[in-house]
Amino acid sequence: MADAGGNGGHLPAGDAGSPAGTGGGPAPGTGGGGLADGVPVLAVQDLVAGYGEAVALGGVSISAAQGTVTAVLGANGAGKTTLLRAISGLIKVRGGSVLLDGVDVTRRKPEDMARAGVAHVPEGQGVITELTVEENLRLGALIRAGRAVRAAALEQAYQQFPVLASRRRKPAATLSGGERQMLVIARALLAAPRVLLLDEPSLGLAPIVISQVMALVAGLRDSTGLTILLVEQNARAALAIADRGVVLNLGKVAVTAQAADLAADTGLLNHYLGL
Amino acid sequence: MQEFLEFTLGGISFGMIYAAIGLSLVLIWRGTRILNYAQGGMAMFTTYIALIVINHTGNYWAGFAVALAAGLVLGAVCELAVRPAEGKPPMNAVIVTIGLLILLEGLAGIIYGGQYRSFPAAFSVTGLRIGSTALGVSRNDVFVAAAVLAAALALAAMFRYTQVGLRLRATAFGPRVARLLGIRIGRVLTLGWALAGLIGALAGVLVSPSTFLYPDSMDSIFVLGFTAAVIGGLDSPLGAVVGGLTLGVALNYAGGYLGSALVPVFGMAALVLILMVRPSGLLGSASSRQV
Repeated sequence: MADAGGNGGHLPAGDAGSPAGTGGGPAPGTGGGGLADGVPVLAVQDLVAGYGEAVALGGVSISAAQGTVTAVLGANGAGKTTLLRAISGLIKVRGGSVLLDGVDVTRRKPEDMARAGVAHVPEGQGVITELTVEENLRLGALIRAGRAVRAAALEQAYQQFPVLASRRRKPAATLSGGERQMLVIARALLAAPRVLLLDEPSLGLAPIVISQVMALVAGLRDSTGLTILLVEQNARAALAIADRGVVLNLGKVAVTAQAADLAADTGLLNHYLGL
Repeated sequence: MQEFLEFTLGGISFGMIYAAIGLSLVLIWRGTRILNYAQGGMAMFTTYIALIVINHTGNYWAGFAVALAAGLVLGAVCELAVRPAEGKPPMNAVIVTIGLLILLEGLAGIIYGGQYRSFPAAFSVTGLRIGSTALGVSRNDVFVAAAVLAAALALAAMFRYTQVGLRLRATAFGPRVARLLGIRIGRVLTLGWALAGLIGALAGVLVSPSTFLYPDSMDSIFVLGFTAAVIGGLDSPLGAVVGGLTLGVALNYAGGYLGSALVPVFGMAALVLILMVRPSGLLGSASSRQV
């Protein structure tokens, strides 16, 4: 039943729905409650997950409030990508829970998480290169009801990302790295998510493109009230736009702090991230 | 020259059958990386259903339509049978689909008996001629080629222009991304198998007038359809059609000029040759694969 709520299509996208009033949450019957202060949009509690015998996440708790960017930092193998995969259902959760607007969504399938409003942009190969730019974008809107809604969302995406508009008929394989990152983010937004999980959006991009991507992420939070979990290797770039920062170390949360405090603590960053 | 024309046109007609079987294999391969060894058996089974409907109603087209519908259903049912083997080592799916083939052929033998049955053609099978020149093809051959071509074009249009087609392609090329975008890929794969069942059923109805119908009547057609798909690259629908036509014409030349006993040999030789020289096929992507 909660699936259907997420598919309702009245999710905040571009219209800057105010957190208190309109709410974009589940229908009243689903009991998820609105967006009252104190109920984080995304709450991860004691999450345990791994691959085969190895435990990559050993009990991680993170909560993200409406309209914030939470930077998830850590060295290689700290469990950052595993955390996102466990939230979105790509890998099995062995313990703990994931709450979306207070509703338990632990162990849902990836397709159901997407329909519940969690958009996961995976690291690296998120673009389907065999399809055109426009086909990739249309995929993002497939779960939204109504042809007109989908068409309008597509037009909005083109306005927001003019670079994609000029390439709409081209195979996605012809895009540059930065353009591909724009494409996968735009595609995720077309689903009108409540929560955006971004895995290493700066990977392999030139410094100037990285700052464009980070500015885009900050802009999304400010204009749409989207809740964003930003996994990054590039801690400085991520903390510059994030509200809060979480440092993972060997599958556990080592530090949680305001992003600005974390960015100022060079000793700590050096210790965990080798910066 | 007259012979050459006859062999060429006749080859196109047969080639379209191989193309249809190849197309059905490609549909499944693209989505699941499974080679469906039961495809010929499925086509045989739906052709029996068509024959029963035709015998009861006396209407060829009723049987034709029921066969296609049965192909859709049988394809979907077979996908559910194969699903536990998806994502497992490739040999698991090979065993399951071969098991399905044996099951279908055994069932057909039990239900319908093992004897050869003739299957009616949709149109006249007497050779067409222009003036006094025999073309080597009948009205029915033209129908066969047109039907497969129409099915291939309809499939291509569906893949390119419809939302269902977009889901099918996304699932084939990026199943993980598709799931993250909310596509229920299990249903999409079932649909892919159903469409393959439909195309296979079409091939079965079209080829059976010239082969007779018996429980393993589609085995040799399956091998040639598989060869057509491999020539085309196994993941290219267009490649399957081109491969089928190439194979059909080449085998008809071989049979016509060198003797029909050699046709099966040449078919296998073509398969071995293409796997040795260009394993990714004429139009396939270059990535390595296991069959």
